[in-house]
Amino acid sequence: MSLGTYFDQLEHDVLAAMRKPSKLYWIALVVSAAAFALGLGCWGWQIYEGLGVAGIRSPVGWGVYITDFVFWVGIAHSGTLISAVLFLFRAKFRCSFNRSAEAMTVIAVMTAGLFPLIHLGRCWFFYWLMPYPNQRHLWVNFRSPLIWDVFAVSTYFTISAVFFFVGLIPDLAIARRRFTGWRHWVFRILSLGWQGTAEQWKHYAWLYMFLAAFATPLVISVHSVVSWDFAMSVIPGWHTTIFAPYFVAGAIFSGTAMVITLVVPMRRILGLDNYITVDHFEAIAKILLFTSLIVSYSYIVEFVLAWYSGNPFEIAHFSFRAVGDYRYLYWLMLFCNGLLPLTLFVKRLRRNLKYLFVLSLFVNVGMWLERFVIIVSSLARDFDPYNWGNYAPRFVEIGVTIGSFGMFFMLFLIFTKMLPVLAIAEVKEHAS
Amino acid sequence: MERRDFLKVLGIASGGVAASGSFSFGQNKLVSRVLPPPEGHVPGEPVHVHSVCTECPAGCGLTVTVRDGLPIKLEGNPHHAVGGGALCVRGQASLVRVYHPERVRRPLYREPGGELEPIGWDEAMGRVRTELAAAAGAGRTNAFWSGRSTGSLARLIGETCAALGLERLPEFEIYHHGALRGAYDRLFGRRTVPVYHVDRADALLTVGADILDTFLSPVEFARQIAPKLEAGWPWFHAEPALSLTGARAAHRLAVVPGSERFLLAWLLRAVPARQPLPVDLLAAIPSVTREDAARKTGVPAADLDALARALAAARQPLVIAGGVSVAHGDGQAVALLAGLLQWSLGAIPALVDFSADHTFDAVGTLADARQVVERLKAKRVGVLVLSRLHGLELLDGAVEALSNAAFSVGLTDFLSSAFAGCRLILPVSHALESWGDAEPQRGRLGLVRPVFRPLHDTRSEGDILLQLAGKTNSFKEYLFAAWRPYPAVWWKQGYVERPVRAEAVKLADGAAGALATLGQAPELPAPVLVVKPSLRTFDGRSRVIPLLHEIPDPLSTVTYGPWVNVPPGLARSMGLADGDELRLGGAALPVRVLPGLPDGVLLTAVDAAAGLGLKSDPATGELLACHGGIATVKTGRRIPLPFLSGGLNAAGRGILPGDEGHHHHHEKHSLYEPYEYVDYRWAMAVDLDRCIGCSACVAACYMENNIPVAGPEEHLRGREMSWLRVQPYVRDGEAPVFIPVMCQHCDAAPCETVCPVYATYHNEEGLNVQVYNRCVGTRYCNNNCPYKARRFNWFEYDAPAPLDRLKNPEVSVRPKGVMEKCTFCIQRITHAKDRAKDDGRRKVRDGEIVPACAQTCPASAITFGNILDENSRVYQLAHSGRAYRLLEMLGTEPAVYYLSKKVK
Repeated sequence: MSLGTYFDQLEHDVLAAMRKPSKLYWIALVVSAAAFALGLGCWGWQIYEGLGVAGIRSPVGWGVYITDFVFWVGIAHSGTLISAVLFLFRAKFRCSFNRSAEAMTVIAVMTAGLFPLIHLGRCWFFYWLMPYPNQRHLWVNFRSPLIWDVFAVSTYFTISAVFFFVGLIPDLAIARRRFTGWRHWVFRILSLGWQGTAEQWKHYAWLYMFLAAFATPLVISVHSVVSWDFAMSVIPGWHTTIFAPYFVAGAIFSGTAMVITLVVPMRRILGLDNYITVDHFEAIAKILLFTSLIVSYSYIVEFVLAWYSGNPFEIAHFSFRAVGDYRYLYWLMLFCNGLLPLTLFVKRLRRNLKYLFVLSLFVNVGMWLERFVIIVSSLARDFDPYNWGNYAPRFVEIGVTIGSFGMFFMLFLIFTKMLPVLAIAEVKEHAS
Repeated sequence: MERRDFLKVLGIASGGVAASGSFSFGQNKLVSRVLPPPEGHVPGEPVHVHSVCTECPAGCGLTVTVRDGLPIKLEGNPHHAVGGGALCVRGQASLVRVYHPERVRRPLYREPGGELEPIGWDEAMGRVRTELAAAAGAGRTNAFWSGRSTGSLARLIGETCAALGLERLPEFEIYHHGALRGAYDRLFGRRTVPVYHVDRADALLTVGADILDTFLSPVEFARQIAPKLEAGWPWFHAEPALSLTGARAAHRLAVVPGSERFLLAWLLRAVPARQPLPVDLLAAIPSVTREDAARKTGVPAADLDALARALAAARQPLVIAGGVSVAHGDGQAVALLAGLLQWSLGAIPALVDFSADHTFDAVGTLADARQVVERLKAKRVGVLVLSRLHGLELLDGAVEALSNAAFSVGLTDFLSSAFAGCRLILPVSHALESWGDAEPQRGRLGLVRPVFRPLHDTRSEGDILLQLAGKTNSFKEYLFAAWRPYPAVWWKQGYVERPVRAEAVKLADGAAGALATLGQAPELPAPVLVVKPSLRTFDGRSRVIPLLHEIPDPLSTVTYGPWVNVPPGLARSMGLADGDELRLGGAALPVRVLPGLPDGVLLTAVDAAAGLGLKSDPATGELLACHGGIATVKTGRRIPLPFLSGGLNAAGRGILPGDEGHHHHHEKHSLYEPYEYVDYRWAMAVDLDRCIGCSACVAACYMENNIPVAGPEEHLRGREMSWLRVQPYVRDGEAPVFIPVMCQHCDAAPCETVCPVYATYHNEEGLNVQVYNRCVGTRYCNNNCPYKARRFNWFEYDAPAPLDRLKNPEVSVRPKGVMEKCTFCIQRITHAKDRAKDDGRRKVRDGEIVPACAQTCPASAITFGNILDENSRVYQLAHSGRAYRLLEMLGTEPAVYYLSKKVK
C-alpha cells in the first residue's frame, strides 16, 4: 500500500466515524443526556430548597460534591499528560490517544468546574470568588486555598482548551476538504485558513511545542493546588505535606484509567483498530502500573507518618480510617488502587484489552473512593469527640454525581461525532 | 425588598390613602412610631418590665425585654430573691409559649359528641352559668380543680368558689412533695415544704433531692451553691440513678434504689446529735449497723465513714431528702428519718425554715386526686372547672374520668391531655398578657404585669373567675386593691418581701408513734426503672415548647425523646446499642447508653412515662419513681434517636481540665503579623468548677440570637443550630464533666484564613466576625474549625406565625446557605460602647457587657470582658492558674479560658 493510499484510507476511516451515527450511539447519547438532565434537576431542587437536601452535615461539610470535584479534576489530568508530556518526550504512541485524551481533559475540567458551584450554599454569588473591581471595595482572600483553586482550575482549563484547539487545526482543514454542506462551512471557519504550507507548519510546530511546554507544569500545579484545599487545613488526615505529589500521582493514575475506559469502546465502535493498537494500550498500562505504585507508596507513607508523629489525633484518625465506620470503603479502595494494578506486571494481562477495560473501571471506582475516604473520614473524626458524626450521601448528591457522568459522556459522545477523534496529521507524520 | 418594588408599593399605598381620604388603616401604629409615646419610650429602644416566670412552681423573678410592643427576651429579675437575675433553661424558653402557633385563640364549645367550635365570650360565660345552675339542680356537686395557685389568684379562687357554690378540689401537682409534707406534719405538726438555706450550710447531704435539676427551686439552689462548688465543700449526694446534682456533688453516693432509709437510720446514730432526740423516738428508729448500711445501700463503708465525719465536723450541716428517694415504697420512712436527722443535726430552724415555706398549702397528693377520679367515675360531679392541670395523663384513668362530669370547662392555653375532652374551652392569657402576683415562697411576692395586649382573644384566669362570679370589677382592680399597702419598691423592682410570722418548731408528741408504725417495703428487685422529672419539661408541662426539645438533655445529649437511659453494663449484657428499642412493661422506648448510671438502674423522664402505667404510693400519695423488677425485652427494632454527642471519651485530646494535652515547646511561627489591639480584646472565662450543666445558657443564646429550631429530622442528620452547647464527657469512674463550648474567637483562627471571600475575619477588638451578607457558603471555615463552633443554614428556617414575631431585632436573621456562629453577643458589646460614648467615657467599664449566656447562668460560671485591662475580672481569671484553653496545642490562641481546679 502506497503512502498516498494509506493516507486516503486513514482520512476516510477517521472521518467515517463522524458520519451518520449508529443506533448504539443514539442509545448511548440519550442515556447520557437523561442522566445529565437528572443531575440538573437535582441541582435545581437543591438551589430551591437549600443545601439541606444533600447529606452533608456538621462536621462533614464536604462530601460527595468535593469528592466529585477532585475526581473530575484528576480525570482531566491525563489528557495533558499524554498530550503535552509525551509530546515533549517524543513518545510515538501518544498520537493514537492524544485527541480523545485532550477532549476528555477539556470536558472533565468543565464537569469538575461545576462542583465548586454546586456545593456552595449560595451558588448564585459564585462570582464573589473572582477578584473583580467593585464599588464596595470587596476583595477575595488570597490566603484561602479555595482562591488558589479558582486560579489553578481556570488556568488549566484555558490552556487545555487552547492546546486542544491548536492541535485540531490541521485535522479541521482535512475535514473541511472532505465534508460538504454546512459542516464544510463550520470546519472552514474553525480551521482558521489552514493551508498546510511550510511556513504554517513551522509556526504551528513552534506554537504546539510552546503550549506543550506551558501545559506540562500545570499538570503538577493544578492538582497540587487542589490537594492544598485539604493540606492547608488543620484537620488530621488532611494536614500533611505529602498531599501534593500524592494527589498528582493519583490524578495521573485515575486519568490514565479513564483514557482506557473511553478509548477501548471508542476504538471498537468507531472501527479504529488499525490505528490504536495493542502496543499503544500496553504503553498506557505501564503508566497506570507506575502511578499505582506511587499511590500505594503514599498510602503507606500516610500511615507511617501518623504513627511516627506520635500525634494522638493523627494516630486516632488513621486507626479510624483502617478499622472505623468507613473501613469497607478504605479496603475496597486499597484493593482497586494498590492490589489489582499489580497484575499489570504480567505482560499477557497488560496486552489483554478486555482485562484492561475491566481493570480501568476498578481503578476509576478506587480513585473516587480514595477522594471520598480522604475527605469524609477525616472530617468525620477530628479533634473533639462531641462533634464527631458520620456522613452518607443522599439522593440529590447521588443524582448530581450521576448527572456529572451523564454530562461527561454526553459531551464526549458529541465530540466523537463532531471532531476527528484521531490526530490524523500526526498519524500521517509518524507513518511517513 | 427591591428599590423598585418599594417605590411601587409606596406609590400604590399613598395613592390608595389619598383616594380613600381616610387614615383608618394601620395609621394608629404609624403615628405611635412618629410621636414619642406617653411614657417617654423611644421607638426602637427596649423597655424592661418585671414579672414572674410561670413555667414551673419555683416562680423566679423575670425582667422582660419589650421592644416595639413585643416581648422578645426573658431574663431574671435581679431584685427578686428567687432566681436573683438568673433563669433556667425552661424559663428562658418559656417566651415561646406566648407566641406558640397552637395556642387556643378564642373560646371553643362542643355539643355532646361534637367537635370544638368557636363561640363568643358572652355566650361562653352564659353557658357556664346555665350549666352551674342545672347541675346544682340535678344534685351534683360543681367543682373547681386546678394546679397549684399562689398569691392573689389563690385568694380569688377561694372567693369565687364560695360565691358560685363550687367545691374547691385539692390542687393537682404531680410533684406535690406529699412525702415531705406528710413527714414534717407528723414530726413537727407542719404540713409544708420548708425553705432549705443551702447557702448557710457548710456540709450538705442531699438524698435524692436533685436540687440542681428540678427540686423545688433549682435556680436559687444553683446560685447559692456555685461559690461553694468553686471553693470546694463537703457535699454528698446519695441517689439511685444519675442527675446533674449527682454529677456536680463533691461525692456522689450511688445507692441501691429504695435503700436510702438504711443510710439515714445509720447516720442518725452515727453522727452525734446536737439537738438530742427523745428516748422513745430514738428507740423507734430501726437500728442499722455500719456494715448493714453499707451492704443494703451498696455504698462502700469507707464512704459512709467520710460522710458521717463530714456531717459531724461541720458547723452547720444540712440534710435534704426528696425527689426520687421519697417516691418509692419506703418514701415515707426516708422523709421521716431525714426530718429527724435535720432536727438531730440542729439544722432546724436555722437551715430548714418552716416560717418562710414553699406555698403548697392547697396542693393535694395523688391520693386526693385519686379520690376526685373516683367521684367523677361515680358521676357525682356536675360542672367541673379545670385550670392549669399538668401531667394528669400520668394518673391512670384520670383523663378518661373527666368525661363523666356533667359539663367540663377548661381554662387553658393549650389543648393538652386534660383539656382536650372539655365541653367548653376558655382560653387563658399568658402571664405576660395579664396582671397578677405570685408568692412561691411565703412572704416573697413577685409582681406580674402585662407587657403587651393579648395576642389572641384570651382573658386572664382572674378576669374569667370574676366574670363568672358576676363581678363587675376587673382582676387588675382586684389586685390593685390588694397591693395598696405595698411599698413603692413593689412597682419599681417588681418584688417585695412581707414579714412572716416565725413560730418555734418543736417535735410533735406523736412523732415516735409515726415512726414505730412504719412498715418496711420489700427490696426492689433489679432492674429498677427510675422515673424522674425532666430538666427540660418538668412534669411534661413544658412539652409544648419546641425549643426545649431542641436543646439536648445535658447528660445523654438526647434532643427529641422519649427515650430510656440504660447503664453500660446492662447494655452490654443485653446487647443494646443507642437507638435499640427496649420494651419496659407497657411501653417501648429507644435506648441511650448512659455511662455513670449505676448497673441495674434504668432512668427515664416522667414525660416519657405516660405509657408505663405508673402507680402512686398510698402512704404518701407520691408518684412512684422507683419501679423494681421491670421486665425488659429487646424488641430488635431500631428507633432513630437524635443525640448530639459523637463521643463521651475525650481522654488525651486536650479538652478536659488536667488533660490539656501535649504542648509543643518550640516557638510558634506564623506567616502573618500578630494582631495589635488598641482598646479592647474581648475574652471569656468559663468556670468549669461552677458549671452545673443546666443548659440555661444554651436557651438564652437561642432566644437572644434568633437561632432557628431545626427539628428532629435535622438532628438525626447532625444539623443542630445552637451556637453554644454544653458538652458532657465521662472519665473512667468519675462523674460527668460539662464543658460549655461556643466560638472561641481565636487569635490565630483557622476559619479566617480559609474563607475565600473574607466573610469571616478578625476585627480590631479580637472578635472573629462573620459577615452573613458576604458569605457564599463554602463551609470550609467549619471544616477547619477544631471546635466545630460554626453552624450552616441548610435551609430557610421559617417559624410559623405568630412565632415569627419572636425575633431580636438587633440580630440579623440569617438566610439559607450562609454560615453563622457565636458573636460574643456583639449587639450587646455595641450597646455598651454606645452607652459609654453617650456618658462621655472613653471605654466600657468592666462587667458592663454581659452576653446572654453569662447573664442567665445561675452559677455565674461565665465571665466576659476586656483582657487587655489588667484589672478586669476576665484578665484575673485567665491568669489565675486555674485557666486552660481547649486544644491549646494547635496554636489557635482561643479567647475563651476554661477554669478548673484540676488544671495542672
